[in-house]
Amino acid sequence: MSGPTIQFAPEDDVPIRYMDRTREYYQALGFAPYRWAHFTDAPFTPLAVPLARARVALITTAAPFQPEAGDQGPRAPYNASAKFYQVYSMPADSKPDLRISHVGYDRANTVPEDLNAYVPLERLQEAGAAGRIGGLTPRFHGAPTNRSHRVTVETDAPELLRRCRQDGADAVVLVPS
Amino acid sequence: MGCAKDIVEHCGVPRFVWSDFPLGNSAGRPFDVESQARTLELALRLLETAPAARTTVASPLRWAADATWKHRFLDVAKLSSEEIAERRKEFDVVKAVAKAKREGA
Repeated sequence: MSGPTIQFAPEDDVPIRYMDRTREYYQALGFAPYRWAHFTDAPFTPLAVPLARARVALITTAAPFQPEAGDQGPRAPYNASAKFYQVYSMPADSKPDLRISHVGYDRANTVPEDLNAYVPLERLQEAGAAGRIGGLTPRFHGAPTNRSHRVTVETDAPELLRRCRQDGADAVVLVPS
Repeated sequence: MGCAKDIVEHCGVPRFVWSDFPLGNSAGRPFDVESQARTLELALRLLETAPAARTTVASPLRWAADATWKHRFLDVAKLSSEEIAERRKEFDVVKAVAKAKREGA
């Protein structure tokens, strides 16, 4: 007696284990292992107003284009000169030129030619126009991809929170690139 | 919104929309407004409905029909010892550049 054949997905079609992969990579290169941020709990605040009335802030790790900082094009190799080390803010109703040559995105599989794939600003603007959200806060913000946990936790994160509160944000969408 | 499921969940965040896409596409597929709008909508729904911290929603969107792309990211097994030495040198340079920029910032 045979039933229907069950077709499971291939065993390797699982979330990439980025931490293992990165550890192995840097170990092979002879570098000390990186320690990723790790907490066993996370804060949680339910949305206090209906989304259609909520002001939503956007935080990105993408960097404003810096003409003097070398190749930041879609096929640029990792470009540390294009990094930034201070929180920045720009008008949320703009079309900013934001790049990601300064971070370790997947250069083997993707070419970042469309800003909207890593910064959902235009989609959020549309959600505001459609009334799906109350609107964006006046500014969106850039979070430095600093290798120092201390600077991220003690300097950059509090500054981002301060700016979001100053802008009256009810919710924040964080998008690492 | 992100692509690195293990890293974001290791950190722990209030709500997380995970796209099984190559790093760099946290907000949807390039030049695909529909994909981007659906990904954002998942984030907005999650803001409205998540019952507790660390709620992850997996986007149903697929990057490719199969998983071969997943083997190509930082595949150290495919590098020769010369390539490894070369990359080590490059990384030292990159770190020095970042350090100089950070200290000048």
